[in-house]
Amino acid sequence: MLDINWRGLLLPLAYLAVLTGTFVTFSTVYRRRKALQSANLAPWFGPHLQRNIYLSLLHMEPEEGSEKAPKIPDSVIRAALLRRAVEDINRIIQIRTAKAACSSLLQRGSVGDDLWQRFQRAEKEMEDELRDVVMEANALVPGWGQIIFQSANEIAANKVLRDRLDEIEAQADSEKEWWEKRRAAIQTEFMKELDNESEKSNTRPSTSSADEPVLVDGNTPSTPSGGLKKRKGKK
Amino acid sequence: MSDQDHFTFIPLSIDPKSKSISSASSPSSRALEAELAALNSLHRALHTLDAPLVVPPPPMPVNPKRSANVSKLRESGNAEYRKARHAEAIKFYTLGLQMALTRPPWEPSQLVREEVHALYSNRAQAHMQLGNWPEAAVDAEASVAAKSQGNAKAWFRRGKCLLEMGRLQEAKSAVAKALEFEGEEKELAELLKEIEGRIAKEGN
Repeated sequence: MLDINWRGLLLPLAYLAVLTGTFVTFSTVYRRRKALQSANLAPWFGPHLQRNIYLSLLHMEPEEGSEKAPKIPDSVIRAALLRRAVEDINRIIQIRTAKAACSSLLQRGSVGDDLWQRFQRAEKEMEDELRDVVMEANALVPGWGQIIFQSANEIAANKVLRDRLDEIEAQADSEKEWWEKRRAAIQTEFMKELDNESEKSNTRPSTSSADEPVLVDGNTPSTPSGGLKKRKGKK
Repeated sequence: MSDQDHFTFIPLSIDPKSKSISSASSPSSRALEAELAALNSLHRALHTLDAPLVVPPPPMPVNPKRSANVSKLRESGNAEYRKARHAEAIKFYTLGLQMALTRPPWEPSQLVREEVHALYSNRAQAHMQLGNWPEAAVDAEASVAAKSQGNAKAWFRRGKCLLEMGRLQEAKSAVAKALEFEGEEKELAELLKEIEGRIAKEGN
């Protein structure tokens, strides 16, 4: 009864072993690739420069020759954290504006799944970042966490307004230059018109008389009258 | 997230006297330079806070001192304008603008917009009185950039200046945009008609 025919079972057992082995290798390889792919997806945002500066300031290294790391005053640390919060506000605005567009594009199938994955990862990272900033702010000054983003929001909005105004003000010089040229062009044109008129008024009597001496007489007063009109035009 | 646990170390150095931060590695990127400049100016601005405060207070309520100064300068400008001394009025408006634009950055931007749009609009009017069309056009544009709704006067001035300089198409599009923002404003509609009349005349 217990005398199993091992030799007969060898083939099915080998078959099962190969089958499970294939499945296991396939699934591990597949999963590893998938994980690698999502890890390799480009991040939504570039490196967070302000965050790097803030953390670098906290972890200053001693300079050559001196043993202690240079002391960073608290006010600089606070300013750096505020700059970091401002950049976070900019990123939040970007995420909010991109979200509606992104999800509708995904529903229509216009963009791939990996874009959506990148987006969701960025959203999650932002949440962690905000929590981190609030915690840091509260650690620096008690109660600052509640208002740091209000201040940062105003700083970001003011920056946008000031950049726009600077851009407009920068046009002033070129506009002025353009207008000077344009006005000069209009003036010379106007003067030409005047000259033409005066020539016409000068030639008309000369043709009517058709006499040589009268023509000379007609020409001589034309120069001063033209000059007079020129002076008038300049005013 | 693992990204939250590490950061890229940037070698920085601090000037022991002025406490300004600069990049320690000599070839630094332009973005880093700009950011460090912004950081240093914000740091300096933080020092202007009144003594007990070490961080910016919430945006509201606002310190009334600067607002009072700005409105005083605008009033003086208006008084000069009424006396037909336009160049002096322009000086006052310019001072007021400087005052309004150097407000600390964490104070409400909405307030800055309110103050700045009135000053730009008034300065545009004073420039128009002097016949400085390009300056007036730029000021009017800045005014509507600060506040595009409920700013019919500035829109009108922008259109008028462009018309005076003979830039008819630009004037037309500016006034058309103004009508979008302001609804049916009578003066703007009339100006649009005038511009369209000029365009028709030049076309012939």
